Amino acid sequence: MIRLWNNLKLRNTALQVAYVGGFVALVLGMALVARANLDELGIISGFDFLFKSTGWKVSFSLIEFTASDPYWRVLLVGFLNTLFLAAIGLVLATVIGVIVGMARTSSNDLARLLGAIYVETFRNVPLILQVFFWYAVFTRFPGPRQAISLADGMFLSSRGIYVPGLNITGLSAFLGIVVFLAGLGVIVWITAAQRFRRMEPARKTRLRLLILAAAALLMAAIFWLGRLPDTPLVSIPALKGLNYRGGVRVSTELTALAVSIAIYGGSYIAEIVRGGFKAVGRGQIEAAQSVGLSAWQVFSRVRFPLALRAMMPILTNQYIWLVKATTMGIAIGFADFFMVVSISINQSGQTLELIGILMAGFLLINFTLAAVLNRINRAIALKGDQLRS
Amino acid sequence: MTQSNEPAIVIRGMNKYYEAFHALRDIDLTVEQGERIVICGPSGSGKSTLIRCINRLEEHQSGDIVVLGTSLDDNVANIDGVRREVGMVFQHFNLFPHMTVLENCALAPMLVRKWSRARAEEMAMQYLEKVQIPEQAEKFPGQLSGGQQQRVAIARALSMQPKVLLFDEPTSALDPEMISEVLDVMVSLAKEGMTMLCVTHEMGFARQVADRVIFMDRGEIIEQNAPEEFFGNPQNERTQKFLSQILGH
Amino acid sequence: MAITAQIEREGLLAVIRRRYFSSLSNAILSIVSFALLAYIFWTVFDWAILSAVFSDAGGPEACQQTDGACWAVIDSRWRLILFGLYPHEEHWRSGLACIVVVLMTVLSCIPRFWSGKAISIIWIGGFATFYFLMKGGIFGMPLVDEQQWGGLSLTVFIFVSTALVGMPLSIVFALLRRSELPWISRLTGLIIDSVRSLPLLTILFTFAVVLPFVLPDWASGDKLYRVILGSALFFAAYQAEIIRGGMQAVPKGQEEAAKALGIRYGARIRRILLPQAFKSALPATINQFVITFKETSLVIIIGFFEILASGNAAYGRGEWTFAYVEVYTFIALIYFAFVFSLSRYGAYLERRMDIGDR
Repeated sequence: MIRLWNNLKLRNTALQVAYVGGFVALVLGMALVARANLDELGIISGFDFLFKSTGWKVSFSLIEFTASDPYWRVLLVGFLNTLFLAAIGLVLATVIGVIVGMARTSSNDLARLLGAIYVETFRNVPLILQVFFWYAVFTRFPGPRQAISLADGMFLSSRGIYVPGLNITGLSAFLGIVVFLAGLGVIVWITAAQRFRRMEPARKTRLRLLILAAAALLMAAIFWLGRLPDTPLVSIPALKGLNYRGGVRVSTELTALAVSIAIYGGSYIAEIVRGGFKAVGRGQIEAAQSVGLSAWQVFSRVRFPLALRAMMPILTNQYIWLVKATTMGIAIGFADFFMVVSISINQSGQTLELIGILMAGFLLINFTLAAVLNRINRAIALKGDQLRS
Repeated sequence: MTQSNEPAIVIRGMNKYYEAFHALRDIDLTVEQGERIVICGPSGSGKSTLIRCINRLEEHQSGDIVVLGTSLDDNVANIDGVRREVGMVFQHFNLFPHMTVLENCALAPMLVRKWSRARAEEMAMQYLEKVQIPEQAEKFPGQLSGGQQQRVAIARALSMQPKVLLFDEPTSALDPEMISEVLDVMVSLAKEGMTMLCVTHEMGFARQVADRVIFMDRGEIIEQNAPEEFFGNPQNERTQKFLSQILGH
Repeated sequence: MAITAQIEREGLLAVIRRRYFSSLSNAILSIVSFALLAYIFWTVFDWAILSAVFSDAGGPEACQQTDGACWAVIDSRWRLILFGLYPHEEHWRSGLACIVVVLMTVLSCIPRFWSGKAISIIWIGGFATFYFLMKGGIFGMPLVDEQQWGGLSLTVFIFVSTALVGMPLSIVFALLRRSELPWISRLTGLIIDSVRSLPLLTILFTFAVVLPFVLPDWASGDKLYRVILGSALFFAAYQAEIIRGGMQAVPKGQEEAAKALGIRYGARIRRILLPQAFKSALPATINQFVITFKETSLVIIIGFFEILASGNAAYGRGEWTFAYVEVYTFIALIYFAFVFSLSRYGAYLERRMDIGDR
């Protein structure tokens, strides 16, 4: 026995078989126990439940949803809500992060101090505490009848923010926005891709404007085609009885989540932006100044592009983290993917299937996001390793 | 473990591959006890790989390696046994930066030979005296010069009281003025009858102490001979070319 | 130093002009920033101190009369926030337990104790003290069940146990992932990457709700300990990659030298690899601790009465409902004190190591 154990090859094989085998046995054992428990509860495992109607409603949905719709549709609602919240949160966090990050790298001490206060205040307090805080703030706005009017047709109330909207189907709204975002993506691609490097700057600008216009027109056309019959295209919220009718209500939950994710994520992104700018060597900036570029040109042609390359990998991780943070919606009752799944588990009892769907959904989002961002990172990364900053 | 007349190292028909790359071809080599061997050759010729196979830092794919009567095969006990009796000195010293010089030297005797700390440190001090830096015992490697670090590395290898010492280009990473202090230590070891295999480009050292000089190229042993013959009358064309390059005329 | 020298040389006004009014855009930036800073400082100062009500003596009504902070709610409810539903007479134990953990954290920041043995003794000893103080049942302290733990002490308990279970697990993960045996390394990589790509909340939820479903009854254990296990797994998946990064920073020659000396795997890892890997991974490790401490608050969603939940309860019931800002500020300050000082310490270490490398 000892002689066998001393044999390196045998030992290595045995270790690997034991490790992988142990893991498989654990998973199988769990599956068997689950099977027994399911049988006891009289639940039939499988994905048939996806086509049964749910019997409950969700508070916020981008697509139409009623209590008689099937489970797969409620899961889709949650998934879209997560994506929607993540998109808003990431964009706002990036805007805040860039502004604060720039302030933190400014040559002006006062601006730097302001940036530092922002970052240290919001980064050192858990996100969920901030979610609770903003939710408490927003739910304490006056009720619809005493709503604060921000501008014509825009109201702040404890039930949410009311803004003018379009009377169109959810699908066409979704498609229109996708088309517009795709247009923006093409513009970014033109700006960054190797293929367009040698194009005249003026022509490049014209091409970008053209694509922007085309995307906007196409979006408008899709909206027009998807308008609801017998209603005006633009609907403005107006007080009818105890509540507002018409327009779009951005729910308090969504607002609180988006605001907290934007503020918290902004403080992290600000640090990443600061690190990126710090990584740009003085030599590069001096070189740019020495060939006579203006302050703006030094920034837009040298400092920013180099800083962006330094930020990209860390930014990717931060974005993925922020997407995962949308799960906090459940704390205040926003119907994100996680909340919808956990209600479904309560209602249908199909625990394992739903947990599987939940994990698959997040793996899908994260891997897609990571793949896209890594692709961009590779495309803009400095080529070769002979550079010194 | 060994009889006194048995060879220290026997290598027969040994081959080593990295994936598809044939790093060592049909190596045959016998080293007697007390013999001092210098291995030279152009970079990438496999000389470092060869001595790293002798203490199983690299695994060979075919052929036999017998060190001090123990065959290096898949038996873990054999590998451990060989490493206990064979010391090695590296090009980049590889001292443990988080331990003092004394701890560096006493660690292995304590862990492997199960000596008490007192005994291990006492022996370590003896070897530090031998390499002439006992006064640095409480310093950390980062506080020493390259030459001092390499001498500590030799003391560390000696602290295990090995029967064979392997040197893998011990002076290549040193500034020129520090080479001699390390070579002096190696010469004194050679005079005491230590079995040594040195991969080095120090031809003066080879002339002075080697019993045999081995020339390797492209994974093969091309030529081996006593130093006078090797330097005075190289047989192979590649050896001649290499010697003319390295001796610089 | 530099600025006083400048002022002596050029005069105060000249320095101010050069630093803050060098150009039109700089002047605008200075004025806007100064105005904002002044506004923030004044508002916060006025709200938190000048107009604030500190004492509970006047009850909630006293607060209604002022625009300032109503710290009276903290005065009235601080025991609930810090100790949750822990029995009133035994609060000193809960408080003492938290102080033990703070001491333990401070001790582990002192380089003198940075060896595997010392850190393990400090943490296991500290944790044991914490646990027995909280749980009681010995030395004449009445038994207090985990169900009654709450507030800050519960947060601290979950955090410390997460670290205690997660740290060894992360070392094991890191070692398995860098194993030369391909199947061990691959399977470990798959486990780590899967855990990392899931939100912590889904993992906590899975451990709290789903695990009893797939484990036999005898193995399920208490919900609190299952959640700690899930949290530790998540911590370990991240920490393992940090440690692996530290291991990659250790030159290959270190392990080779140890092998050549005949030192075996276990001792090589303990004596040569890990001490060096941890040294270079230290700032990232501290950062991970900070993140983990903040994320501990997520257990409120699984239904634990930790500090955030006890805070919600403190203002949520009865007469203090208007004082939510004060309660959240109080909790935020507790988190801030811990997180800010630890992350400053991490940044300081990183700077020191940068200088050391040069």
